[in-house]
Amino acid sequence: MNLEEKILGIMREVFDMEAVPTDVSQKNCDRWDSLRHLTLASELEDAFDIELEPEEIAEMTDFARVIDMIQSKL
Amino acid sequence: MTTFVFRNHTVEPLLGYDGMTYSGYGDISLVPADVDRYIWFYQVPVNPDSAQLAQEVESYCDLLDIVLSKVDESKPFFIFSLENIFPLRLTGDETAVADAVASFNAHAARQASAHHNVKWVDFSEFVRRYEASALVDWKYYLISQTLLNPKLAHDFQSWWQQVERENAHQRKKCLVLDLDNTLWGGVLGEDGVDGIKLGGEYPGKAFSYWQRALLQLERNGVILAVCSKNNEADVDEAWQHNPHMILKREHFSALRINWNDKATCISEIAEELNIGLDSMVFLDDNPAERELIRQSLPQVEVPDFPLKPYQLMPFFKELVDKYFRIYAVTSEDRAKTEQYRANAQRRAEQSRFIDMESYLYSLDMRLDIIPADEHNLPRIAQMTQKTNQFNLTTRRYTEADIRQRLEQGWRVFCMSVSDRFGDSGITAAIFLQPVGDVEVNIDTLLLSCRILGKGIEEAFIKTVFNLLKLDGYKTVAGDYLPTAKNQQTADFLDRMGMTLQSTDDSGAKHYSMALSDMFDINNCYNIRVL
Repeated sequence: MNLEEKILGIMREVFDMEAVPTDVSQKNCDRWDSLRHLTLASELEDAFDIELEPEEIAEMTDFARVIDMIQSKL
Repeated sequence: MTTFVFRNHTVEPLLGYDGMTYSGYGDISLVPADVDRYIWFYQVPVNPDSAQLAQEVESYCDLLDIVLSKVDESKPFFIFSLENIFPLRLTGDETAVADAVASFNAHAARQASAHHNVKWVDFSEFVRRYEASALVDWKYYLISQTLLNPKLAHDFQSWWQQVERENAHQRKKCLVLDLDNTLWGGVLGEDGVDGIKLGGEYPGKAFSYWQRALLQLERNGVILAVCSKNNEADVDEAWQHNPHMILKREHFSALRINWNDKATCISEIAEELNIGLDSMVFLDDNPAERELIRQSLPQVEVPDFPLKPYQLMPFFKELVDKYFRIYAVTSEDRAKTEQYRANAQRRAEQSRFIDMESYLYSLDMRLDIIPADEHNLPRIAQMTQKTNQFNLTTRRYTEADIRQRLEQGWRVFCMSVSDRFGDSGITAAIFLQPVGDVEVNIDTLLLSCRILGKGIEEAFIKTVFNLLKLDGYKTVAGDYLPTAKNQQTADFLDRMGMTLQSTDDSGAKHYSMALSDMFDINNCYNIRVL
């Protein structure tokens, strides 16, 4: 599974959505609220065995930025 | 199902979003009525000033009481115990916060005992599994007020689902026990009264703890019974002469010590105690016996029995958590075990009497018919919730429902029953709804199965009919609404002389009767109307 698919899978679970489009962002997705954002961060930390700083968590506001952030950590 | 959560920290990652609504942090101003249940999940805040923190924690008791006074008593209300997951103590003798936490927990547990809808959830069961350092992720706490580490969310959810399952579980009434290698170690018939393993060193010590634990179950209203393949005389000797024996004959409400098959014995015990097979749990060390019961009496719960005596205490805890955990004990519950035993004794008496009439006289029964008041209202509501077998209409009422009906002019009576073997307490109720000036409708008539079989139901309703007639009522109406469990009352109103008016497709029957003559009531009952 590539990185993109793995992250989309985590998002589907955290947001409880059947499908998550690759242009998803905090702005265009109601489910991506501030609390689920934290759950997402915590799940990503677990899944990729990384640590995200609070500032980094705050920056991950859309799918592309999430990918960039995770890639920079691996 | 919709749930409203009172909280003072972010707990959404733990409890989830589906059907959940959350209060503001520490906010009790909104107590919504349009939800199915409530959860109170407060956590001890982070505050290095422990005196101030202790005061804040102390205030939670009042907050909880205010909320409880506003919620509908028919809706489940779960209170999580408070756990201080980041105890900060600057001096060694600093206990103010711990004391405040303990006092909140004691208060919440008392509320759970006082209200049948309030359930106490021991959150320490979950917290204890983790190292202190794993419980809080300070990064998440500081950016989102999530005190419990969100990484524990999955574990938390499976724990919480387990708690919910246990709560949905019907509480069992009776524990049926084998004897050899179940209540003591060894085989009585082979090892002898003093040879069985009980008391002293391990493994006897394990069985002593086990018996002491079972004794506490009995004292809290669980009925114990014995079903064992043994010679009854041997067992009696062990009960009388083994000095380490804690559970003795008097602690068991029914005994089947014989060589008959255990399925028959357990059915007989259910009949003797007048309880359903689905309220029984059977323990036996022999897997073949367990399998027999699982196959022939699938309603009976048959847990596996521990292979080693040192596993008995954790097994006991499991039994309590799964089948016998008590959330709210009424004094009636506590006395119930005593009553079941007195009933068994009564049946033994019954077999000695040749005719029913003289048996009934010999019981010296006292029936007190009491109008509903603040003292008996909780018990009346509880009976409408719990009584299934002798219940004409099976309408479930809360205390609030009943109060409302009393205000509308309904007449509600309950009946307290005692005889020379013991006091059964309040075990019957009737709800009468006036229809116009001279007619009354029996909305509810129920009797606890503990007092059935002695004609008490007839004496009760006929006394009520006489009271109604004396009060000037001309007609009484009533319904029988069939359920899976109340067939035994299907023809009760016929037998009481009422006339069937109509039957609908669901089998519901409507009756009425003119109140013309006074009913004669057998003199074997000493009836008082209070």
